[in-house]
Order: sequence, then C-alpha cells, then structure tokens
Amino acid sequence: MINIKDIRDTARDMLAKGEVRTVIGYRRGSRGMPAEPAFITSPEQADELIWDPTCYHNLSLYLVHDRKISAHLQKNSGLPIAIVAKGCDARSIVVLMQEHYFKREDVYIIGVSCEGTGVLDERKLASHLNGVQPTLAAFDGDDYVFTTAEGEKRLPAREVMADRCLECRIPFPKEHNLVFGDDKTGRQLAEPFAALTKFEEQGNSERWDIWSHHFDRCMRCFACRSVCPMCYCDECVVDSITFPVTQQTSAAEKADRVRWIERSAMRSENITYLMTRAMHLAGRCTDCGECDRACPVNIPIRMLNNKMEREAREKFGYEPGASIGGPSLVASFLDNDPGDFIR
Amino acid sequence: MSEQQNYEPRVVAFLCKWCSSAGSDLAGVSRIQYPPNATPITVPCTGAVSPMYILSAFNKGADGVLVSGCHIGDCHYIEGNFLARRKMQLIMQLLEFIGVEPNRFRMSWVSAAEGAKFAQVITDFVDDLKPLGPQEKLKKADRI
Repeated sequence: MINIKDIRDTARDMLAKGEVRTVIGYRRGSRGMPAEPAFITSPEQADELIWDPTCYHNLSLYLVHDRKISAHLQKNSGLPIAIVAKGCDARSIVVLMQEHYFKREDVYIIGVSCEGTGVLDERKLASHLNGVQPTLAAFDGDDYVFTTAEGEKRLPAREVMADRCLECRIPFPKEHNLVFGDDKTGRQLAEPFAALTKFEEQGNSERWDIWSHHFDRCMRCFACRSVCPMCYCDECVVDSITFPVTQQTSAAEKADRVRWIERSAMRSENITYLMTRAMHLAGRCTDCGECDRACPVNIPIRMLNNKMEREAREKFGYEPGASIGGPSLVASFLDNDPGDFIR
Repeated sequence: MSEQQNYEPRVVAFLCKWCSSAGSDLAGVSRIQYPPNATPITVPCTGAVSPMYILSAFNKGADGVLVSGCHIGDCHYIEGNFLARRKMQLIMQLLEFIGVEPNRFRMSWVSAAEGAKFAQVITDFVDDLKPLGPQEKLKKADRI
C-alpha cells in the first residue's frame, strides 16, 4: 500500500533543497474523479499530489515535451526533473534513455509500484455504475472504492482494471531512484496478451472485417500520437510540415513531393497511418495503453502494438524497456533469427 | 469467369542492387521466360527497405509486394539482410494480423547467379496471387 504522504514529503523535500526543477505527478482533476498531470515547482504545492486508481497517464510524455522546449529555447535545462512513474511509465523512460533522448542524470524517477491493482479503465467502470458519476476513487487492498452521490461503492479491482494492467507482467518500475510500494512482479491476473490471443483465434477474413470497421472510424485526430511518449519525431510522416515552400517552389515540386500518407481520413490512409505507427513503435512500445485510452472512437490501437510486442518477444526474445544500454529491436539482429518465411 | 482469367496481378519487387537485381538481369540475359507482372525497383540493400515502402506500394495499388536480396552472409554491407529479415518478419506479421492475405507479401533470397531461381520466385508469386484477385484492402480509393 502506497502512502501518498511519502510521495508528497519526497517532492517537498527535493524542491526545498533545490535538487530538482519540477516534480511531475498527479493531482485532483477539474472534472470530478479523474486525476490530471501536475507540475509541482514549489514545496508548498507538494500537497496537491495524489495517487489513486485514476492515475493512468504516462507522464514520461512530459519529459519529452520538456526536452523539445529546451531544444527550442536553445538552453540547457540544468536541474533534473523528478517524475512519478508506474512500471510501464518507467519502462518508457528507459526506452527514451536507450534512444539517447535524455540522460539518466536528467531525470529522477520516483517509482510507484502498481502492486496488485493497476489502474482504472473508465469505460469498464461506466458499465458497472449504471450512470452514477463517481467523484473519488481510492485503492483499498485488492478493491477500488468509489465515492458517489449515492454513497460508497466497492468493486474488485480486477473487474474494472485496464486490460493492460490485468495482462501486465512487470507492474513494478525496475529503473528508479526511489520506489514506493511492494514489488509484486509475477502476480498475473490474466495471461499476457490474453485479449490479443483471443482475437487472433479468428480467421483472416473475420479479422479483416473487424479491423476495417475500426479503420473506417478513425478520424485522424492524432490523439494517439499526441499522447504517446514514443511519438516524439519532430516531423511525422503524415504531415510534412518541414517541406519548404518558397516563392521559387514550383507547382510541380509541390505536387511531386513524396506523400506517404494522405491526411484525409479515408480507410486506406488510416490503415497506412496506424500500421506505420505500429511499426515505428515495434520494440519501443511499453504497453502503457495511453493510445487506447485517448482514442475518441475506441479503436483498439493497443492491440496492434501488442501484436508487435509479442512477435518481438517470441521471435527475437526482445523485451522493450529492459535496459538502458541494450540494443534496439530493429537496429540489431541475431544470427538465428527465424527466416523460414523467406523463399 | 473470363474476367478472372484475364486478371494480371501487379507485383512491386524491391530488389537489392547487388544480388537480386543482378539475378533478374541474369534471368533476362539467359532468356528465361517468366511472367511480366513484376515492376522491379532497385534498392541499395534489402536493409534499406522501410516497411513504409511496402505499405505505400499496397496503398498505391500493388497486388503483391516482393522483397528480394542477397543470401544471409552474402550482404554487400555485411549485415543489411539480417536487419531486413527482422523488419520484414514484423511487417509480414502485422499485415497478416489485420487480415491481409499472407500470400500478398513475400521475401526471398536470390543471388546474382540465380537467374533461374528469380524466374521461379516471380512465377510462383504470380501464380499464388492470381486466385486472390485484386488487392482492395489497402488500396487508396479513387478520388471521391
């Protein structure tokens, strides 16, 4: 059980001593139950920090933002940033460091173990509460306790927990400067890749029917890209913002430039976008499930990334976010990689 | 029925400059007959084939995509085809996962001395593609 007081004390202490610039954590949100990311810069604010089942955001995204801002301002950011990180978030941070996005000493990881419970899936919760709006969520042993207008409601965590948390293999931030909560690695509430395996049992055409239905709905809001800490490219393949258009640029040049993917939300383009994204995240995605949560039209984007993760694990023995100095998936190889599909 | 018989699949073949491209040359010089359905695109190395190329080829109307390069150990750049083997495995699995027929994507090793093998690879691929019909799943719709 994590005592929020410990996290607050740590944050207050570090800010007071001037060891860190900011503490990125969670605080009470402005729309009821869900937490929201908080950037704590002074010791007095430290009491705003919270830790509850709605802390599902992957905060490592803001480390990327910070990096981009300091690159833009062309100045060194100086002091490190402290960040509250769950198991999956800590692995994202490891991947970012593996890719030399920032250095280990630039970040101070306050690890929080998910223990037996993980975080909430609001979509699952909605089907349990019959329209009642909860105002507060709290951990209690293996249950979540929700405060609603009609009194307290207690639900077993595994009924409303996010799928990725049920399937999580390592609910503990291995890479950390400081960690709260017990290491419950090995607690396995569902088989890893359970949802994926179930989906894959269907035939080729059934899978296509389901996916084409999903791809049709994509409206290219790019929420999945915005929320993903791994989607940090300055120029995304879908929007060539850096194509220089000057007075000398002829119409032919504009027309001839390579557009891998059109911006219009057509099925073929949506497929190309989401598939490209899945390929770019292969071996980097740490299954934080944020793309799934952010998607306004419920496309199971996580399943594409999950598929890549499982292939990497089964075929190449690759585990994303395992070590800072390790090789990346597509820039390394083994002599005995499977090659029997090649004629 | 007759329409199906007349259907000729369009294959985009990414051939490595050092082996498969030379292999296709040898097939031509040796006057080996094989289907003319493949559009060859020479790339420096199979390791340079981004999965984007494959998605893009399907997106622009290819019925099948072939990636062909040097045998393992023969890469001009030492390890390019090792890297390709991983990437192509991933994209192949992903295409299959969303329900694209597995036969639409193929990878082969064809050396510069294997003109006959190149002809065989193309023949087999085209034969496998014909029953599948045109690829409509990833193809960009005509202007609306």
